Amino acid sequence: MGFSVSGSAALIFVGMFIAFGMWHTAATNSFERIDDARDDRADAALEQRNTAIEIQAATNTTETRTVNNTTTTTYHLNVTVTNNGTASLSLAGTDLLLDNEYRADWQSNAAVDGDADTDLWLPGETLAYSRVYDDPTAVPDRVMVATEAGIGDSSEVADV
Amino acid sequence: MASVSVSHLILFIASMLVAASVAGVFTDTVGQLSGAIDDQGLQISEDVRTDVEIISDSGSSAVYDDGTDTTTIHVKNTGTETLAATSGIVDVFVDGRFETDVTVTLLGDASSWRSGEVVRMEIEESLTTGEDHRIKLVVNGDEEIFRFRAES
Repeated sequence: MGFSVSGSAALIFVGMFIAFGMWHTAATNSFERIDDARDDRADAALEQRNTAIEIQAATNTTETRTVNNTTTTTYHLNVTVTNNGTASLSLAGTDLLLDNEYRADWQSNAAVDGDADTDLWLPGETLAYSRVYDDPTAVPDRVMVATEAGIGDSSEVADV
Repeated sequence: MASVSVSHLILFIASMLVAASVAGVFTDTVGQLSGAIDDQGLQISEDVRTDVEIISDSGSSAVYDDGTDTTTIHVKNTGTETLAATSGIVDVFVDGRFETDVTVTLLGDASSWRSGEVVRMEIEESLTTGEDHRIKLVVNGDEEIFRFRAES
């Protein structure tokens, strides 16, 4: 009888030990995963609160040139945006929408404080984007700039 | 004397079988519970990591095209979770109506809707021009609202 009780108790104990091991592994993994996700979210929220941009100007300048009695008119879209926040932004992570149309290649026409090769857009620096149009109807009416954190600013393009 | 030993042996085997069954059922149940905890942890972590922002310009007259009855918005993945760039990942409501005719297109040279990448969502739904409208997106529990005026 003693062997029966001891053997059964040992079997049940081993079962409980294995079950606790499975539960503990699953619970620890889940808590760690959620904890990491919350940490990342907190970092993203901090980045978002540190980000602020402002469109200083969005203008369409008309330029007329006469060469060999041929007059050509071009329309220059110039957008200047200042990083007013404390977060360092990247041009690759920043998006530009002209008349609600996404521009994928806008970085090639942009410069930060006169430097066209940099990808960094640091606090206090001004981003300048310019594009030349031949057709006045192609010049956008509105410009929207959005940062990596989703913070954006929009402005109407003013004719000057 | 021999009959006592045999009965003890039978009792011993029976108790072992019962104990093994109890332990087996217990570990199996806890195993399933652990699987559920794992799945739920993964789901919660995905929900926490998911964050999207609508970066379209609500002031633009190009949000709604009354010629094709299409509303175009741009949505940026600002979370840390890589999302599937398909209409199945997002629930779209226009003025409270659930929309099924939604086309999701990944923009730029992105291969997946990773953090920082933008998708274009084209929602085919006829809207009354000159009136205010509201789009609600739900992605993994993250809700975003976009208000605009449909202009002709």
